[in-house]
Amino acid sequence: MLALSALGVAGVMALSACSSSSKSSGSSASGNVTLKLLAPDYGTAGGPDSSQTYWQGIADDFHKANPTITVQVTTVAWTNWDQVGTQLQNKQYPDILLGDAPQELAASNLLYPLTDVMSASTISNLIPVFAKQEDSNGVAYGAPFTTSSRALFYNKKLFAAAKIASPPKTWADIQTDAAKIKALGNGTIGYGLPLGPEEAQAESFLWMLGNGGGYVDASGKYAINSAANIETFKFLTQLVKAGDTEPSPATVNRTKDTWAAFADGTVGMAGGSGALIPSITKAGKLTKADYGVTTMPGKTGPLTQALAVHDDVTAFKAGGHAAQIKQFLDFAYADKYQIQFDNEYSLLPATTSASQSLSASDPVAAGFLATVPNAVVYPSNSNWNTVKTKIQQTIGTAAQGTDPATVLGSLQTFASNN
Amino acid sequence: MTQTTQAGVRGSAPDPGGAPRRQPRRTGALVRALAPLPWIGPAIGLILFVVIWPVIAMFQTSREHYSSLGVLIGSAGWNNFTRLFAEADLGGVVVRTVIWVVAVVGMTVLISLGVAQLFNKEFPGRRFARWALIAPWAASVVMTSIIFKWMLDPNNGVVYVLLKQLGVVKNFNTNDTNWLGDPTTAFWCAVFVAVFVSIPFTTYALLAGLQAVPSDVYEAAKLDGANPLRTYWSITLPLLRPALLVAALINVMNVFNSFPIIWELSGGGPGSQSATTTIFMYQLKQSSIGEAAAMSVVNFGFIIVIVLLFLRASKWNSAED
Repeated sequence: MLALSALGVAGVMALSACSSSSKSSGSSASGNVTLKLLAPDYGTAGGPDSSQTYWQGIADDFHKANPTITVQVTTVAWTNWDQVGTQLQNKQYPDILLGDAPQELAASNLLYPLTDVMSASTISNLIPVFAKQEDSNGVAYGAPFTTSSRALFYNKKLFAAAKIASPPKTWADIQTDAAKIKALGNGTIGYGLPLGPEEAQAESFLWMLGNGGGYVDASGKYAINSAANIETFKFLTQLVKAGDTEPSPATVNRTKDTWAAFADGTVGMAGGSGALIPSITKAGKLTKADYGVTTMPGKTGPLTQALAVHDDVTAFKAGGHAAQIKQFLDFAYADKYQIQFDNEYSLLPATTSASQSLSASDPVAAGFLATVPNAVVYPSNSNWNTVKTKIQQTIGTAAQGTDPATVLGSLQTFASNN
Repeated sequence: MTQTTQAGVRGSAPDPGGAPRRQPRRTGALVRALAPLPWIGPAIGLILFVVIWPVIAMFQTSREHYSSLGVLIGSAGWNNFTRLFAEADLGGVVVRTVIWVVAVVGMTVLISLGVAQLFNKEFPGRRFARWALIAPWAASVVMTSIIFKWMLDPNNGVVYVLLKQLGVVKNFNTNDTNWLGDPTTAFWCAVFVAVFVSIPFTTYALLAGLQAVPSDVYEAAKLDGANPLRTYWSITLPLLRPALLVAALINVMNVFNSFPIIWELSGGGPGSQSATTTIFMYQLKQSSIGEAAAMSVVNFGFIIVIVLLFLRASKWNSAED
């Protein structure tokens, strides 16, 4: 533990050393401004698909058009994302941050209102269902940059082998189909249920929606341990017990485990977003004809609303560069860059105009995009980020032996007390 | 040699040299007390900087309220501690930590006693065997843990492949191949890996102790007609006690603080059901930095207790000697 804290200190030292040098270059006398942009890496750090390359491209184009503004790009792998927390903890604020929802940062009074850092025309181009999510007490403090929507992927090869005629529509269908696929043997998994720390909140939400539940009630108050949600996890518990999923879903992560196994052809069904498609292509086990995408089933029928998630751009007040940030964001939200990003990572755009042109050119994206205007999104309560991390850590145990009422009850207590 | 010449020089030095030394005695004592400072100063500075300061920072953090994104919201008073002690998982985590330390250290010491005894005997290839034992010690613990994780992959881990060929495991991706997903088996897998990586150091510490036992005591025992068991119990073990004590206590601290093994194998999961206090601290950090710091403070308390026991034991050791 001592060694750990010592390391932490060394890290802080290194960070502060970096920031002080960049600060001095940022406020040089000749009117030149350096904007610090911090973004997650949606690809592989150092690889050809690294988001560093994507952002550096925009930054270079922007610098050409605006020679007095330099954008300094830093990308951090999602798996190391908590180092951003450390950075904020030490008051090393970037000018522009792409990442989580803005409410918590807005509540700490660190952010510019969106209208200060984005022109009205760009704001009005944001897809409304996501843009509304950026509000804190009626004021938007961020803008969605990239989005994705969830659906059920199923393996047509395994469905044929198990003699299943059509994709599932209800929970009961999932259960029968999963049992049949499981019976094929060779380690085949019926339904991939990633309730591990990476993305448990999304998988749980998909199932909660199927039973008319969710994280919050109609008035926006947390309702994690509602009767509907408890019933949902009771269903999942017996699905797990029957052996229709991975044996211990609470330790299964989405990308590395479930999606990788689906791409490998050993999973019958799994919830996924467009981002699963590149991994399928890369694995080379399934062709386009071997898998299908359908609406996520609910208890009695397919979900009427898809779950859509988004990552957000926020702008920090600390650097005091509102005007320059505005110039840059208006530039970076051009259709060209939005579509480039979506093609690269198989995610969806956050602007209406980019969605329209992408729908016209890409049938797969069009399928996902069609569900977006009517999508369900995560809560925008100010402590959602904190609650989300707690959910990721613990909710999986509710499908793996611990009483759902206990697990969801303690999450509800945590959400209301923090 | 040098000492005798110096003594000779000092002895033959004339009186005037000694007299002025005596007059400013107090300042001289102070200067003499401070004289080592230039040599030990950097070490003291380093300790203040990398040990004391982080400890202070940790205590401060445990009394502050941070958002999950790391923004300081304000003082939390003792809230982080109240929330920590209210965590439903904490009781299980603490009990598991005790079992973890006792089981890993106990098994490590027992096995190492045997291995050290073996390595103390002459046998062909002994040098090679001694070298081979260093491997688990020399390899990074994270690397070792990841390899064990791969060997226990529910879909195609080599351990399960072997067990399937032996007919023990019927199908992959089922409960048969779920050792790392089930909290109990995951915990004991971690114990196994921890013992595996702790044995080399412990064996070498005990081997050094064994080699320090003079051979004439054994000869005397032989003459008195003691059987091997009796010799081991009445001669080897008592004489090995200093080495045994040091090895055990260093292991206790190491194992208590051990993070990578459990983290790589199971992440402390499902939930926190295979976590020790060190892992639990890291899990808490994801949602609450302050609460994690409070857990660190509690861990720090445990460590202080262990260190005090260690100091006491080593004093008792030297007194016995």
